[in-house]
Amino acid sequence: MFAVLHLADFPLQALLRTRADLDRQPVALLGDARREAPVIACNPLARSAGVELGLTGPQALARCAGLTLCLSVPTAEADAQAALLSVAFSLSPTVEATSPGVVTLDVSGHRADERESRLCGAMPRLVALGLQATVGLAATPLLAQYAARLAEPFLAVENHRTFLAPLPLATADPPAAVWPILTGWGLRTLGDLTDLSKADIAQRLGPAGLALWERAAGQTNRPLHPVVPAHSFSASYETEHEFETIEPILFVLRRFVDRLALDLANAALAAAALTLTLTCTDETTPSRRIRLPEPSTSADIFFRTLYTWLESLRTDNAIKRLHLEIEPVRALVRQQGLFENTLVDAHGFADTLARATAIVGSGRVGTPFLEDSHRPDAFTLAAPADTLSPIEPTAPFWLRGLSLRRFRPPLPAHVALTGASPSSVWTNELHAVVAVAHGPYRISGDWWERAREWERDEWDVELVDGGVYRLVHETPAKAWYVEGEYD
Amino acid sequence: MLTARRYPFSTSSSPRAFRSLLSVLVIWVVFMSGHSANIPALRQLLAARFPTAVRAPASVFPVGWPALDEALGGLPKGALTEVICAAPSCGGQLLLGQLLRQTRAQNVRVALIDAHDAFDPCSWPPDWLAHLVWVRARTVGDAMQVADLFARDANLGLVVLDLRHATERELQRIPATQWYRLQRAVEQSNAPFVVKTPLARVPSAQLRFVLEGSHSLRTDSAPRLDLMGQLPFVPQRQRRQANVG
Repeated sequence: MFAVLHLADFPLQALLRTRADLDRQPVALLGDARREAPVIACNPLARSAGVELGLTGPQALARCAGLTLCLSVPTAEADAQAALLSVAFSLSPTVEATSPGVVTLDVSGHRADERESRLCGAMPRLVALGLQATVGLAATPLLAQYAARLAEPFLAVENHRTFLAPLPLATADPPAAVWPILTGWGLRTLGDLTDLSKADIAQRLGPAGLALWERAAGQTNRPLHPVVPAHSFSASYETEHEFETIEPILFVLRRFVDRLALDLANAALAAAALTLTLTCTDETTPSRRIRLPEPSTSADIFFRTLYTWLESLRTDNAIKRLHLEIEPVRALVRQQGLFENTLVDAHGFADTLARATAIVGSGRVGTPFLEDSHRPDAFTLAAPADTLSPIEPTAPFWLRGLSLRRFRPPLPAHVALTGASPSSVWTNELHAVVAVAHGPYRISGDWWERAREWERDEWDVELVDGGVYRLVHETPAKAWYVEGEYD
Repeated sequence: MLTARRYPFSTSSSPRAFRSLLSVLVIWVVFMSGHSANIPALRQLLAARFPTAVRAPASVFPVGWPALDEALGGLPKGALTEVICAAPSCGGQLLLGQLLRQTRAQNVRVALIDAHDAFDPCSWPPDWLAHLVWVRARTVGDAMQVADLFARDANLGLVVLDLRHATERELQRIPATQWYRLQRAVEQSNAPFVVKTPLARVPSAQLRFVLEGSHSLRTDSAPRLDLMGQLPFVPQRQRRQANVG
């Protein structure tokens, strides 16, 4: 048994699923960019306003003043076809891309009583991807295709003779040379044609007529030419209407991630990283590769991750092209330790960190790690760990005195000395007399590298007005700073 | 004879006002009935009449600071705590160190939103930093935006917002509604949220205490763990009774 998923007015559907601004508007698709190009498709709103196929653009506008005329978008059609194939592969491993907007599936592997429910269950998935399809089910691919064209929205052919007989002659796609002959004979339906002898038709009309008779009788069968499922998971969209705001980009991205999540699920894979590349009108290509905290197949997580980056992106020019690529991996299987603390929501945490980074800037959010150096304030920030191991219970704690609260950058200071000890300190924020001073504590390092060597004297001073501070005298530069407050 | 009066509000559109009026009426009835002004009995009466108006006792997060844990139970979860660092070298960073130590022992993550990039990692053992997410903000506005994000993240066991070096003008620019919004956000995540300020500026704080008095250089040689456990503080506000455990 074969099933056909058919998208009526495929170029128009492919365009409308990427244009949120055309929702609930009368829209017509022109064949090409010429002024006299005919309308090749229109949506129900345009049809109800009197727009018909074959009218030129100006004629259509005369009938419907609010009509939007569009040209087809090849990248949108490619993505819509990919979406249709994604849903088809969720129903059967043998799928043929019969023509743009039409796919044929071999559903012989389904139980007979489940076929209709599984095929009808695919239609909401297509609607979620922005596509309206009809489904035909029959014993041969051609019969299924005829059924799909007539379905509202599902049609199963049980008896091909009773199904085919009343159908108009045009259903079987008669060749142009044969059509006037058939209509001249008074034939209107496929049943009229098959009432005539097959041999007579072959003799009068030749091989083309014989093939037409066989199609009209439902005797045409052919093997499918299956499509090999894609090994790459990517989607592209290019438009002549440039994107100047984030909303239309998000609309298209949502279509992408919904379809790619379905592709990943069909292939039993998960996404490890997302790479989004935008092309601006000045040909610059801002791009970002985002590694997910753990592999996922959730379209919502993909969308949220991309949205977080786009929120903080600023470009000098409008965007004309999008390209999204997903790096697939096998889904993660991991056994965690009994005493380890893992994240409750790894993706939510990654999203929080990404948003915080977007606010405060790159390199300013993370877990501090101390460097193996005596240089003051030597640390690096790294991404927080996914799991936390328990603390070592016997680790000694040797620190004494108050901890430091730093001024970054250190406050330049003027220091008056009595003998060798600081006696008063002036900065923009402090102006005080020193009550007690401990020091100097001389430290230095990196003497083996000229560019990095450093040397300083540190003083811990208690001010008469209260507060304990660290004064630093940088020896080479002979400059004083207040480095921090002991707190 | 009582005269019917029209009130300027509708009971269906202003339930809080209606409850307030009813509570006043109950108090008046109790007074007119000759009952003694027994506050606990009155509370019980109101709680019985309006059960949804009574908030449950807060669960707390013990910080390992005996004075605070014994007096107040710890930091309230799902609520803002304001720590006023009223004097220089009053021990605000020691308190932060104690929070790092306690959360590390419990193996929960802590976020520090540092509005003036003042935290010194070198002051603490490396293992006390493994669970820390440090946000080095540049302005008070950025810090408040990040605070709103972190208050809603269920992965964090404690959030600390350090506005210690904020000027009075910067603090005045934060609208009160932002603090109440933060309080609502923290209630969802049920984590303690500590705000360090130089003066009282958090109207929605459920707990507020002051670190008074400056340390001196005499503490130079004292073990830091001892200093952390002996911080003097003065409670100023405690809105909810703690439910320890």
